[in-house]
Amino acid sequence: MANPSKIEHNKPTQPTEPKQKKRLTHEGKWGLIMISPYLIHFVVFIAFTLLASFYFSLSKYDMLNAPEFIGIGNYTKLVNDQVFWQALGNTVYFTVLFVPAQTILALILAVALNQQLRGLKLFRMAHFIPVISSWTVVLYVADAIFNPRFGLANTVLSKIGMSQQQWLNDEMLVIPVLVVVAVWKGIGYMMVIFLAGLQNVPEDLYEAAEIEGAGVLKKFRHVTIPLISGTTFLVLVLSTITTFQAFEQIYVMTGNGGDITAAGGPNNSSMVLMLYLFQQGFAFLKMGYASAIAWVLFIILFIITLIQVKLQNKWVHYEK
Amino acid sequence: MSKVRWPRLVLYLFALFALVLSACSNQTEGDAEQDGDNDSTSEEQVKITLGFYSSGSADQKMEELINKFEQAHPNIKVKTQNAPYSQFFQKLDTQIAGGTAPDVWLSDGVFVQKYAERGAAKDLTEWINNDLNKDEYYGLDFNKDADGKYWAVPQGIQIGALFYNKDMFDKAGVDYPDDSWTWDDLKEAGAKLTLDANDNDANASSFDTSTVKQFGLTFFNITEGWMPVLKSYGGGVLGDELKNSIVDSTENKEAMNWIVDGMERGILTDPADLQAFQSPMSPFPSETAAMRIGIYARVLAANETGVNYDVTVLPKGPSGERFSPVIANSWIISESASDAKAQAAWEWIKYWVTEDKVQREWAELGEAVPVKKSVANSDLFLGSGEKPENKQAFLDSFDFAGTLDVNAVWSEWVKVFGDNVNRAFLGETSVDDALEEADQEVQKVLDEFYNNQ
Repeated sequence: MANPSKIEHNKPTQPTEPKQKKRLTHEGKWGLIMISPYLIHFVVFIAFTLLASFYFSLSKYDMLNAPEFIGIGNYTKLVNDQVFWQALGNTVYFTVLFVPAQTILALILAVALNQQLRGLKLFRMAHFIPVISSWTVVLYVADAIFNPRFGLANTVLSKIGMSQQQWLNDEMLVIPVLVVVAVWKGIGYMMVIFLAGLQNVPEDLYEAAEIEGAGVLKKFRHVTIPLISGTTFLVLVLSTITTFQAFEQIYVMTGNGGDITAAGGPNNSSMVLMLYLFQQGFAFLKMGYASAIAWVLFIILFIITLIQVKLQNKWVHYEK
Repeated sequence: MSKVRWPRLVLYLFALFALVLSACSNQTEGDAEQDGDNDSTSEEQVKITLGFYSSGSADQKMEELINKFEQAHPNIKVKTQNAPYSQFFQKLDTQIAGGTAPDVWLSDGVFVQKYAERGAAKDLTEWINNDLNKDEYYGLDFNKDADGKYWAVPQGIQIGALFYNKDMFDKAGVDYPDDSWTWDDLKEAGAKLTLDANDNDANASSFDTSTVKQFGLTFFNITEGWMPVLKSYGGGVLGDELKNSIVDSTENKEAMNWIVDGMERGILTDPADLQAFQSPMSPFPSETAAMRIGIYARVLAANETGVNYDVTVLPKGPSGERFSPVIANSWIISESASDAKAQAAWEWIKYWVTEDKVQREWAELGEAVPVKKSVANSDLFLGSGEKPENKQAFLDSFDFAGTLDVNAVWSEWVKVFGDNVNRAFLGETSVDDALEEADQEVQKVLDEFYNNQ
């Protein structure tokens, strides 16, 4: 019943279709050529690999032999995998500590550096150095502080009469310590983004606020914060994504001497999703299972980002 | 503005998968390469690809030996592929997945079965039976599976012995270890060699375990840690077929109690102590530990820092049993190599193990015990004048040597076993509970692979 009526309904629209096609070839030809490098890249390296990884996630695949289709077996295994849930929990914990800490501190730093200070460039550079250093270098600095035997942190603790800590080897402390180091490494980058946002706030708005009798804090709350909310949104989204993808730092800092199977300790207390994915895939050759983890990670990130985007209408202010 | 950001955002999300999928992108590239190879192959000439993981000076020596091999075999051309250790195996696995594996590659001894049991390695039994006199070589049997098939030929052998710092022993007035030692003798001597910040030894009543500055024995995870102790106590991790866990045994409990007691008393380094060093390998060469269980390669670091040390065989267990851990780093021929390429690869392996010249040149690097017995027992190896003096101890250890219960899922069971025993080492759980838990988890890993569960 529905089908014939649909066909009939479509008939009048048919003559317009060739017109549309023609217009595309005329105007879109060069456009397509111009974006073809990107399109090819997208198809070969993204679309194709995405489909392949989805297929692997439904297979038993050890990389050395052809994938063997097993349906949703990997996903049901994930649901019952204690370490996976632990890794998910650790990832969320890491994000919950890291994102607000980095965002707030980066904003404070950016506001401070947005003043007419002497030696401004030097300060900016100082904060940016960790960003461009490799994790291995950052590890050495972090080790000088958090080494349980020789580190600065324990020296200070013992000087003020408090008991020494195991830091990275303590199940309760390992994630907070990793977050502190990650904030130190990443803050320069976010600070620069905030600085760009701050410099776009028109000076006359501050002047107007001053005339209205607003003090420093009021200006910050009612002028600065709303006007950089777009930037804040970007920083939040980027920070969330990077923490969900955190891998290298934890691999380097907890993998005793670069051993991937040792990373994530002690007792999986710093095991995060990316690390678990990598370990399952490359160290244990369970690439099908690793692909399933990747898809779950993707879906989680997608949902979180979607929520962030939806929520932005409530607080992000864009100049019209 | 928010709309503009979407494609970029989605891209960030998708970038996650590039990692997992690098295998796929390799495929097209690799196929093209192989076609090219076939086209340019003249009637006689065989081109093979040889993969190896590299470490500094060894790289150059390997290239030199390959050049000499090519001169001796004008019909074989060798293309090399190398990468640092950790990247090498990731790359190799993706290459195998993409059908572009090297025709012959150097494998860490602990990974031979991973490739063999997954069908990536060629069965070399017939070739070895025909072309090699097995009595002339060390370590051939370490790559033999339960069915008696050979999957690889050793390139160089790592075998464990007891390293001891002579200066520290002299200072403490303790006799050097010898082949009469049991693990209890080691602990007794170790207690005298363990010092806290106030120079109290571990026997002193005022000894403070939280400020140890010199350990009796540094103890690092599997090879240079629990495996030799468990095995010499008559325990171990896997049964003879290497498909079932034997973790929860009284022998293992006894061995674990010996270890945990040593750690509690501060004589042995525990995992938290090791965390404090830049590398868990450093306590012995940096003279923070008086003894270590060490494979042959550890002489390099010890010689570099100039420690005054020697080696002897590892201590006996309570019933006189001894065990020395072995890692036979080996040449594997790819299952996917064509007959001609596999034959050429076999020529390379034969050249490597049979030629005295090659064995001597490689031995000079001092990285491993030479595979060929005649070279290992020659003055070149034993009397090189470099420390340790008693290199004979490494050769004597072959009499009671064994692998690390290596099978296809070695890395995975080592991880779950290690996680559990580390909990006992740190005093977070009892030895009994740790072994019980480890037993179940190890068995789960084995079942998943061997029984397809």
